[in-house]
Amino acid sequence: MTINRVVETDFPEEFIEEMGKTDDVLPKKIDANPENVEKGLAKLVLTLIELIRKLLEKQAMRRVEAGSLSEEEIERVGETLMKLENKMEELKQIFGLKDEELNLNLGPLGDLM
Amino acid sequence: MKLYLYGIIDSSDRIKDSIYGLEGASVYNIPFCDIGAVVSEINQPIQGVTEGAVLEHEAVTEKLMAKFAVLPVRFQTIIDGRDNLLSMMQSYYKDFRNNLERLRNKIEFGIKVIWPSDKIKEHITNTYKKNDKKVSISDDSSNKRFMRDKFEKYELDEGFQAKADKFINVMDTFFSKFAAEKKLKKLKTEDMLLDAVYLVKKDDLDNFREAFEHIKSAHAAFKFLFSGPWPAYNFVILPKNSNLLKDSKQENLFDKVIQHQDLVGANKI
Repeated sequence: MTINRVVETDFPEEFIEEMGKTDDVLPKKIDANPENVEKGLAKLVLTLIELIRKLLEKQAMRRVEAGSLSEEEIERVGETLMKLENKMEELKQIFGLKDEELNLNLGPLGDLM
Repeated sequence: MKLYLYGIIDSSDRIKDSIYGLEGASVYNIPFCDIGAVVSEINQPIQGVTEGAVLEHEAVTEKLMAKFAVLPVRFQTIIDGRDNLLSMMQSYYKDFRNNLERLRNKIEFGIKVIWPSDKIKEHITNTYKKNDKKVSISDDSSNKRFMRDKFEKYELDEGFQAKADKFINVMDTFFSKFAAEKKLKKLKTEDMLLDAVYLVKKDDLDNFREAFEHIKSAHAAFKFLFSGPWPAYNFVILPKNSNLLKDSKQENLFDKVIQHQDLVGANKI
């Protein structure tokens, strides 16, 4: 049997661009060395905090969607989430981290966020 | 003498065809029981990942695939001598044998799909605007406005994910009819709706191809990439604790093959 391998697309540039995006986003491991140990650890801690923050936010939205929050509760949850988000922004600025850096590749499990 | 390893095959026989690999070296089979490791001799370390070297590696596996079941090995797998190679073959013989049995007469195809994510989002937003809102949050405070904005984004994200699931489900139903195994990645990026690999029996090759053409013609606004047949890079299963080629500083013979496939694929476009 002859194997005729093909790579077929009418849009090669678009696919190369998209594949490039996924190659570079996530570091393979946490970049911690004597020079930048503080930033490396901050990145790990902030990644976990960001994960928890997003989970909290999603849970709140589900409750809004289900109509199980009163006007007062929406007010209070809104205030909490807004403060959390602002605090995260501050911390990201302090440690010079961007949104896309707050992620980890968990191998076969995929990305953390 | 260092050996450059291309793959494990389901034969202990001598390779009859003349195949040349990296540095133009002759490719031959080192038998172990009823299977074999296909190698060529290499004198110096490979200088980085070049397009030419990847394609030479790939060309060897392509030729092997035509005659044997192949467990493709990652690019740049070098083993320090025949004794180390045979020792590795002995340690993993059972795993190699099981994989070769499972993957015999099957080949891998890659399918990637880009969708117009902006238009999809626009459509979802317009649909929400037209329909009566299930949830209404007043905007009499900054906290509530924050919640309202967040909820609109949440609705959009949920709608976006649901659309992606729907399209992938339709496509996958067609492809799966002719696939023995599959691995799907949804929304690797916002635009990359699907990045999938399917393991297809050689007998079903034409049917699988036809299913792809059908799906492609039914989704004119989407962009498709079809690649293959590849050796079954993504379907080799090894025990979690296997640590192949520890001595030659290779953690695993088969890891990082997705990048390898992508690189070769990209180079061939």
